[in-house]
Amino acid sequence: MGGGDPRAADGLQAVFLANRPALLRYVTARGGADAAEDVLHDLWLKLADARPGPVANPLSYLFRAAENLLRDRHRARRQAALRERAWTEASGPAAPGVSDAPSGERALIAREELARISAAIGALDERARAAFRLHRLEGMAQRAIAAALGVSLSTVESDLRRAYRAVLTAREGDDEA
Amino acid sequence: MNQQHEQAREEAIGWAMRVADPDFGEWTALTRWLEADPLHAAAFEEALAAGDAADAALKAAPVPSALPVVSRPARRRIAGGLLAAAIIGAIGWTAFEHQAAPYTVATRPGETRTLRLEGATIALNGNSRITLDRHDPRRATLESGEALFDVRHDPDHPFRLTVGDAKLEDVGTRFDVTQDGRGLRVAVAEGAVLYNPDREAVRITAGAVLRERPGENQVMLGQIDPAGVGGWREGRLAFQSAPLATVAADLTRSLGVTIRAAPEVAARPFTGVIATHGDRVRLIADLGPLLDVKVREDHGSVLLTAKAMQPRS
Repeated sequence: MGGGDPRAADGLQAVFLANRPALLRYVTARGGADAAEDVLHDLWLKLADARPGPVANPLSYLFRAAENLLRDRHRARRQAALRERAWTEASGPAAPGVSDAPSGERALIAREELARISAAIGALDERARAAFRLHRLEGMAQRAIAAALGVSLSTVESDLRRAYRAVLTAREGDDEA
Repeated sequence: MNQQHEQAREEAIGWAMRVADPDFGEWTALTRWLEADPLHAAAFEEALAAGDAADAALKAAPVPSALPVVSRPARRRIAGGLLAAAIIGAIGWTAFEHQAAPYTVATRPGETRTLRLEGATIALNGNSRITLDRHDPRRATLESGEALFDVRHDPDHPFRLTVGDAKLEDVGTRFDVTQDGRGLRVAVAEGAVLYNPDREAVRITAGAVLRERPGENQVMLGQIDPAGVGGWREGRLAFQSAPLATVAADLTRSLGVTIRAAPEVAARPFTGVIATHGDRVRLIADLGPLLDVKVREDHGSVLLTAKAMQPRS
């Protein structure tokens, strides 16, 4: 027998075709206007390759996959911007004699930011830290976190909100410096 | 920051939080929110980037230990419930990554857990740690300790296990894997397992055991009793010419008490079955005559040493 169940992919591809306008609208709204068609094309190709197993909610799956592709693109762009800036700073005339390699500079920026963010997370109370960790690294649903920590859903929400705020503020410190 | 930006940021945080939920389904509402104001897309992107950056920081931070030193008293109240769940966020990338959505399950010494995945049942012995993938139940990484795998074979999606540098692939199987300071041990009860299918491709069949020791560049194949594989689940540990160091490590996992073999007896072979059910204190005392060693307890851990005096007949 040939590998996999062809119907699973066909099913997802059918859902893709039926919901293409909604997906396109989402990708465009996410700021991918110029690349929106590319992103959807990539998504289509992925569906043909990936042969995911049975998917509980196909439309949600497609949005999630599109979001992942967008995020890869944004990450790549952020990395490129960081490289550019590091190179300009390292090779600019303002710092004669300081010939740190761009990659070293980049690592330093990343390390400093990481240290700031770690400090911000460390300053949270223990419950908020635990909730944030479960949310970010475990991918646990807020309801599940509430159950695990024995607190209400709204407590988890406000804990996570505080954690995000703290990290955002720590990151903003970078631009003001 | 002006009020408009502040509001966009708060809303963006809310969406970033919800979108990270595995069951998030409000994509249309999110689309509408993004379209409502050009500030929103940028604020959302910032919130997501903050999440990414937080992941790196959280991973770099010391893990809230779920494997405390043996017999540590209960920790603070909030973390307690969390640790009892024994599912801890230790290693692994977030659900944001494509496909991979790893999560780690760990047991404390003396605690065992059974994990039922699609097409596989994994029994995790004490003091062990395994990383699984929510999106791919045919993949696992045994970080440390011991686990017994009951795998339904599927030629299209073989079950793949990573242990240190080694890769194992099932060929229809019940097998037990141990990874600790003394290296890797793979014992097969039924079917067969392929060790490093892309390199050595050693086939381990039922009744065989493969051992890989740190610092040695060859692996050893030996014989075991297939019926004894995974006996720890029933409280039976079967050994066949196993060094006492191995016996001590296996007992540690099962009993939740640290047991070490002193260097002078560590290499001594032991063949036999040890029942780990029942009174722990008695069992530890009985180890002396059973293993022909002296049993010394200090600070909640147990040291097996050579007997001081020669027995007279």
